[in-house]
Amino acid sequence: MTVRGITKRFPGVTANDAIDFEVLQGEIHALLGENGAGKSTLSNILTGLYRPDEGEIYLRGQAVQFHAPRDAIAAGIGMVHQHFRLAASFTVAENLVLGHRDAADRGLLLEPDVIDGRINELARRYRMPVNPRARIWQLSVGEQQRVEILKVLYRGARVLILDEPTSQLTPQEANDLFQTLRLMAGEGRAIIFISHKLDEVMAISNRVTVLRRGKVVGTVPRALTTTRELARMMVGRDVVFTQKKEGAAKDGRQVALELRNVSARGDLGVPALHDVDLTVHMGEIVGVAGVAGNGQRELAEVITGMRHRTAGTVLVAGRPTRGGDPLEAIRRGIAYVPDDRLGTGVAPSLSVAENLVLKAFRQSPISTQGFLHPRRIRSNALRLMQRFNIGAASPDTPTRQLSGGNIQKVLLARELSGNPRVLVASSPTSGLDVAATDAVRGLLLDAANGGVGTLLISEDLEEIFALADRIAVLYNGRITGILDRQQAHIEQIGLMMAGAA
Amino acid sequence: MINDSLLVVIVASAIAYGTPLLFAALGELLAERSGVLNLGVEGMMLIGAVSGFWAVQTIGGPSWASLLMAVIVAALAAAATSLIHAVLTISLRASQIVSGLALTIFAGASGLSSYIGHVADLGGKPARHEFAAINVLGLKDVPVLGPILLHQNALTYVSWVLVALTLVYLYRTRPGLHLRAVGESPATADAMGVNVTAYRYIHVLIGGALAGIGGAFFSLAITPGWIDGMTSGAGWIAIALVIFAFWRPELALVGAYLFGAFSSLAFTLQARQVHLPPEVFASLPYLMTVVVLVLVSTGWAGKRLGAPASLGVPYVREER
Amino acid sequence: MISIERRLTEAPWLVVAVPAGSLVAAVILSGLILLVTGHDPIATWGRLLDRGFFSEGAMSATLVTATPLLLTGLAAAAAFRMQTWNIGAEGQLYLGAVGASGAGIALADRPAVIIIPAMIVAGIISGAAWAAIPGVLRAYTRTSEIITSLMLNYVAGLVMSYLIFNSHSYWRDLSTFTARVFPQGKYLSPAATWPSLGIAGIAIPLGFLVGIVAAGILWLIYSLTRFGFEARVIGDSRQAAHYAGMRTRRKIVAVMALSGAMAGIGGASEIGDFRHVLDPRGLQQAGFGYAGIVVAALARLNPFAVVVVAVLLGGLSNAGFSLQGATFPAGLVGTLQGLILFCALAGELLVHYRIRFRRGAAASPPATKPAPVGAA
Repeated sequence: MTVRGITKRFPGVTANDAIDFEVLQGEIHALLGENGAGKSTLSNILTGLYRPDEGEIYLRGQAVQFHAPRDAIAAGIGMVHQHFRLAASFTVAENLVLGHRDAADRGLLLEPDVIDGRINELARRYRMPVNPRARIWQLSVGEQQRVEILKVLYRGARVLILDEPTSQLTPQEANDLFQTLRLMAGEGRAIIFISHKLDEVMAISNRVTVLRRGKVVGTVPRALTTTRELARMMVGRDVVFTQKKEGAAKDGRQVALELRNVSARGDLGVPALHDVDLTVHMGEIVGVAGVAGNGQRELAEVITGMRHRTAGTVLVAGRPTRGGDPLEAIRRGIAYVPDDRLGTGVAPSLSVAENLVLKAFRQSPISTQGFLHPRRIRSNALRLMQRFNIGAASPDTPTRQLSGGNIQKVLLARELSGNPRVLVASSPTSGLDVAATDAVRGLLLDAANGGVGTLLISEDLEEIFALADRIAVLYNGRITGILDRQQAHIEQIGLMMAGAA
Repeated sequence: MINDSLLVVIVASAIAYGTPLLFAALGELLAERSGVLNLGVEGMMLIGAVSGFWAVQTIGGPSWASLLMAVIVAALAAAATSLIHAVLTISLRASQIVSGLALTIFAGASGLSSYIGHVADLGGKPARHEFAAINVLGLKDVPVLGPILLHQNALTYVSWVLVALTLVYLYRTRPGLHLRAVGESPATADAMGVNVTAYRYIHVLIGGALAGIGGAFFSLAITPGWIDGMTSGAGWIAIALVIFAFWRPELALVGAYLFGAFSSLAFTLQARQVHLPPEVFASLPYLMTVVVLVLVSTGWAGKRLGAPASLGVPYVREER
Repeated sequence: MISIERRLTEAPWLVVAVPAGSLVAAVILSGLILLVTGHDPIATWGRLLDRGFFSEGAMSATLVTATPLLLTGLAAAAAFRMQTWNIGAEGQLYLGAVGASGAGIALADRPAVIIIPAMIVAGIISGAAWAAIPGVLRAYTRTSEIITSLMLNYVAGLVMSYLIFNSHSYWRDLSTFTARVFPQGKYLSPAATWPSLGIAGIAIPLGFLVGIVAAGILWLIYSLTRFGFEARVIGDSRQAAHYAGMRTRRKIVAVMALSGAMAGIGGASEIGDFRHVLDPRGLQQAGFGYAGIVVAALARLNPFAVVVVAVLLGGLSNAGFSLQGATFPAGLVGTLQGLILFCALAGELLVHYRIRFRRGAAASPPATKPAPVGAA
């Protein structure tokens, strides 16, 4: 497959600017770039989801045009999305045949037995066992990804595009995935591997094309490059995240947050958190590592009062909380940066100024006797926008119009300006570019240096290793171990994340 | 005789009164399965009622042909009405709630249906033909089963076939699978090459057509004739029924007859000299709708089991 | 090829242009319906405008119709602002009328300064209480308020019928033989008749003035109070509200009650300004509650705009009632209201999105370079 001069504009941004690159049969070709470099836009164009404003796509020398995803599928292009495109209430088999039309599989009526047979055969061939009758929501994230890959193979794709496929996998699961990818490339399929992680790009690809701000920086064979060179191409300067936590002596420090035997249920009513014991001291950052869906959200919500606990005690500065009441948590000094920034962390249509007082609106000087004071809301906003370097046209700008990094700064500005004792931060840098990531990490460290006890819940191990004093691993709703960062080893944490240690 | 017993009479008339609810609820169910909530059912039913009655008065030919044409006209007119909702909500991304309300105001009582009825001067006229109960195989006097199953009108029998067809369609066919995917996760369906827009349009239109047939049942079977606003809230009850039925056709059948029973109770009991203010009976279907909805919405069912996950959410592919 | 893109900024002129354009478009579409059914649209429209706004006494009559529309419009705006779908203004207005007439009958011997405020308060309380039912069900049992509030409209209508036609209730006039045979409600004492304010020959009903005050209060609540702030956050994202420690349930009940109170004042005004008796048939025929939704939507939920839109639509309804007959078939007003709402909804798209035509269409994308390569 060859791509020539692909350009795609969105209101206010050019997401792809004259992109050229090619993938050969049997090749694993990495598309490397940081968040916002245009990788996802490009893959959406290659799969017919978006239409390019300019440029052409060639398959085996033939120019092709995709008007809809159907055309790309028919041309043999398959995509494994980062956020899986699976209908959660459907079975594996139903997800596989969805939209599929070929000679053997086009009748009006569905034939479950025939379909199951075909799935089992594929699963055997690629060593990806699944139960065709299982429902998606019953599967682990790793299993869901297998379904996502099988779905593409089921359609006989010759070109596979994988968007950040390892982001939700444990290191071990990622290794299994790489095995499968090599197997598929060995059969002559072309594989496009999209990632922003340098080490895995070095581990799996034959060649690497680097994107930066929507443009191709260059294509290099893996054998002739180094991690350092790729990093420079990707960011345009030598990257090193400057923010790193200096060891904090926890001896003698007061306990900011303590959890004793805390249990809670998930959204579907099944127990999701079991007997969690955890302590965060003032000025300390405790990282919670784990694959998404192992109780992280429940943990954060139990502490912040957004979810009722079924057992145990949560203590803030030594005093127990009633729990299940966000307002109580706020009053006790628990700040929260949720992973769902735009839907939960802010009211998206309200202005930046209003979102900055989303919690402080109850108190003087923002309001007195039930009435708000617009001038004070505005001056509060101007002050925080300056102090936290929030890039917004004005305090009246609807918050949804800000970039992800600036929304996160609004959140942090609000949470930290309330002088919290405890900060719970969930995936605080996911989806942010390098500069914003660096800024957010800086804010977290400043807060910790100012005495805030921080619980950092993140799937990004590198982030946890950079920021945390201690690392707790969450697996299946249990803390499987707590280690000092100095003694922790990434392999060991990976095994614990998979429940193996 | 047992066929005159209260229970048998109530069940038999519950089926008669439940049939229009069943048609409308099946239609709404299909639309909602595609992810589009249409609160305009009441308006579409009234369009069906008035246009069906107009057709039966205007189109000649033998009784069966005239009635058949009337049903077709009612279905087409109501489907055309639902097209407005489809364009506004699917293509123009308008709020499904407000658009549906607008549809009911536009088409409903003292709206377009009333305008058509007055312009065509349909008020107070007796129907030239009506759907009468069929004495199937001459067995209407068979104890219990006769009046209930073998003495209903043609549209009721059609509705039974429709329930079966909907079941097969949803769970056994490829387009049915696609429909469920479109309502559940349109992004997934889209990425898999299913035309989300087309599926939504088609099922909103089918929903409109079935609501129209349900409306025609009022003007051609229950009270043959035309009165402004004659469905008196049946469209809203049909919407509640879909929730009650957890978006499953077979449960919609059960629910429709349950509410049919509440609607018919007023007439049945009054005929039996039960002396209570008529308003008590008349308010029964409305109050029971509230009660049933509350029961369904709390407890284990509170998780909205069966609700299409993206019901009410417009699908937009190219937005960041 | 047409594509729709989100606007980065909302153009301010569109906020006025869209409702105005919606009215014009709806007039044109209804003209088509008139034409198809054999009526002369221009003549019909001329008569409508004349009867609604320009002829002798038209404005006074229009304000009488606009008053309940203003209050049910505010009721819809109050609830819809928080994404709480109170479709029950119709029934809440009935209950307001029941409460206000009850108060008026009970205080028949008292002077106007006591009766009239009592009627308003009674209307507020009964409307709010009726609206609180779907509010409580929504907040504490997660039952869709759309359907429950609507179902209660029918029940409210039946309650009124029962009070007048099928019971010997407090509201029913049983003093004469005729009244016992042909049921009707008790007429209120002359002191319970609400005064009106005459300006330039136009009589402004007291209810309309109360409505303007209510609009101001509603604006104040939503822009300047903690309560209104919380309601706006809840309306924008229930998750964010929960996160910020807001008591969403209580707020839902409170906003429903606020909304019902507005509709209840509308019912009280119907009794005090206009009917002076509980008249179930007249109230049910008018359909003020549903029309209030159109008013609120066209006003884009802004309370002050509701005042203006209520007068416009009040004129149409007033003319519709008085012209009703062979040359002006019933149902046209509702049809027109529906069309206005459709057009307003379609117009809303223009406020939030930009429509671009590409590939072979005349207009090319502005600002950025055209895209000819391989696109043909």
